[in-house]
Amino acid sequence: MSDDFTGEAEELLDALSRGVADFEAQGSGVRPELVNKIFRDVHSLKGLSAMVGQREVAELAHALEDMLDRLRMGKIAIGKAVIDLLYDGIDAFNRLIAGTTADVAALTARVAGIATIDRPPAALDEIALEEQTRKSLTEYEEHRLIENIRSGKQIYSIEQRFDFSDFDQKLRALTGKLTESGEVISTLPSVDPTGAGIGFRLLFGTALDEAKTAAVAPEAKVTSLRKAQPAEEGDVSLKSASSTVRVDIAKLDVVMNTIGELLIEKNQIDVLARGLDGRQRHALAAVARNLERKLNELQKTAIELRMVPVGQIYTKLSRSVRKLARDLDKDIELVLRGEETELDKMLVEEISDPLLHIIRNALDHGIESAAERKAAGKDPKGRVTVQAYQQGNSVVIDVRDDGRGIDPEVIREAGLKRGLTAADPFELLFAPGFSTAAEVSEISGRGVGLDVVKKNIQELKGSIEVISAVGEGTTFRIMLPITLAIIQALIVRAAGQQFAIPLTSVEESLRIQSREILTVEAREVLSLRDLTLPLVRLADAFSLPNGEEHPDRKLFVVVTRSGEKQAGIVVDGIVRQHEIVIKSIGERLKGTPGIAGATELGRGEIVLVVDVASLIEAFGGKAREARIGL
Amino acid sequence: MKILVVEDSSSMRSHVTNIIEMDQEDCEIVEAANGFEALKTLPHHKFDAILTDINMPDINGLELVSFLKNHPVYKTIPIMVISTESTTEDRNRAAALGAEEYLVKPFDPKDLVAKLRKLLRVA
Repeated sequence: MSDDFTGEAEELLDALSRGVADFEAQGSGVRPELVNKIFRDVHSLKGLSAMVGQREVAELAHALEDMLDRLRMGKIAIGKAVIDLLYDGIDAFNRLIAGTTADVAALTARVAGIATIDRPPAALDEIALEEQTRKSLTEYEEHRLIENIRSGKQIYSIEQRFDFSDFDQKLRALTGKLTESGEVISTLPSVDPTGAGIGFRLLFGTALDEAKTAAVAPEAKVTSLRKAQPAEEGDVSLKSASSTVRVDIAKLDVVMNTIGELLIEKNQIDVLARGLDGRQRHALAAVARNLERKLNELQKTAIELRMVPVGQIYTKLSRSVRKLARDLDKDIELVLRGEETELDKMLVEEISDPLLHIIRNALDHGIESAAERKAAGKDPKGRVTVQAYQQGNSVVIDVRDDGRGIDPEVIREAGLKRGLTAADPFELLFAPGFSTAAEVSEISGRGVGLDVVKKNIQELKGSIEVISAVGEGTTFRIMLPITLAIIQALIVRAAGQQFAIPLTSVEESLRIQSREILTVEAREVLSLRDLTLPLVRLADAFSLPNGEEHPDRKLFVVVTRSGEKQAGIVVDGIVRQHEIVIKSIGERLKGTPGIAGATELGRGEIVLVVDVASLIEAFGGKAREARIGL
Repeated sequence: MKILVVEDSSSMRSHVTNIIEMDQEDCEIVEAANGFEALKTLPHHKFDAILTDINMPDINGLELVSFLKNHPVYKTIPIMVISTESTTEDRNRAAALGAEEYLVKPFDPKDLVAKLRKLLRVA
């Protein structure tokens, strides 16, 4: 019984720690599902510990559960006090379960000190909900329903019949799809009159209209539960003291997308203008220019709305470092710089896990033990610096440690043993399954590897590289675009087709003749000032006919950079510079090296967007023949 | 005698199971870790009683009770809801939906036994 308890309690605490870290990262915009999950974990812990007579654990869990219950019901404000209490609570649980002591009384007193907000009774009568369904909602579900109504969401009843054999998978798939654009508030099973299956009725809160909701759940019967809106109440003036509003990030996405679509519409005007003559063309072009200017302003503001300081994740990092340093028994100072650097909210959230992984590596593998450091004449206290700064349209995050550094020769040899080679041995660190640690370490030996970190960063259109000096330390440099939404691109032509190259990766473009291309060790290069630039022919990369080659052939080279790597993309022509909205592409092309997505230019023309980082990686520096084979 | 225990915590589930097995001889207990598992297992057995938690993923215990009590075949199976005192409102709802018994977690094994016996007599 007791072993059972410890095992399950540890699992719960693990889940709880992850939940609270996510909570902290999501901040005041925390998803209700997450708060409810944390509540349920604490709730289970309480039940468990009371059952085996772990009185102190149960007492503390009870207090925290009570706080979380109030939190999920919207009765207390989300803030630092709550998050700190959760962290301290987890610490105390860990100590109690490990058999040491914790000041439970002090923690429960702190819980009691958190003030409750009184909320006005909500308007459940705004929706038509029959008694039976209403009664089967838990108090929490009812609260979520009220919150959805209050925030102006549509409430739909979504009814669908499933076969009994696989209703759980089908229903989970449907719920998953719905959750992308709203909240599934309750799931009520119902009797299928035919007896062969089972019916389910979901309550779904969303900003989508009925047609769009029906498109998400095409096989279901979708009914709106909101009663017709009474006229707006007159002269009620309840001026808010605060001048800020909190907005769901999904709504900002809608704004960004709409602006993107407007820009595409504007391109249509340009296209139409070209078909007109003289004065009309000039007049329409002037209107289009004005429209473009205003749209650019709007776009700039919309992007700014999504920006949050990187410092949002710093608190989480310092907590983890403190705990890790303690677990590893190392004395480590964490220096956090550039917390005011702004980055797209979505990117800040997505980067926190990869960043933590790199920091964990730095602490575990990078920083030596105090004895080793002393012997090397270093300060026994290790130092890890996280520094964020803006560079052009990118944000750079450096994770620097003053540890032992990485010896490229050791990496090269380790790579050879696994049959891996690379021009830059540090690249090998990011290869799947690569590890030089002699033993799997408790701290960084589990979970994802650097290959996954790199993949995650590339999915965010970013790049990562390593700079290291033996004995002095290592820097992992992450570069991210400031935002993913709208970008400037260079439209180029190759093999009779157009492609878009994101301008953030472009350094310059050159006009050359075919004879200027040199072949060095079976690789095509261009001599550019004091640099030998490896070339990638875009037509070859995508297996398109390359046209007849002769020394006088006029070509263009777009000089691109991804991290420290440069390459020239050879194309037949440069069309123009253009604003594009990257849209994702179908499953078939997804993951194709060199392609980031697609975009629509005017006149409904679809153009592939080149992913410079993966293009350079897949084709850069390879012999031409090898590329053609692809 | 066949009893269905629906509870997402595995140790709580085996705790409940142990108590029942000690008290009731010749009792087969079927365990379900969530509402979906419960729904799937229902047609394969003839249960004399169902014990369910409220706070579970996918479908909650109240929704399960609502389904059972509206089902032409299952509506006669007596139900005991086992949940916590933090959700008192939920207790009233369970009763309104037709659950016969309610047990508050954490519980004294004696209470579980007493309520279960009562539940089975009802049947």
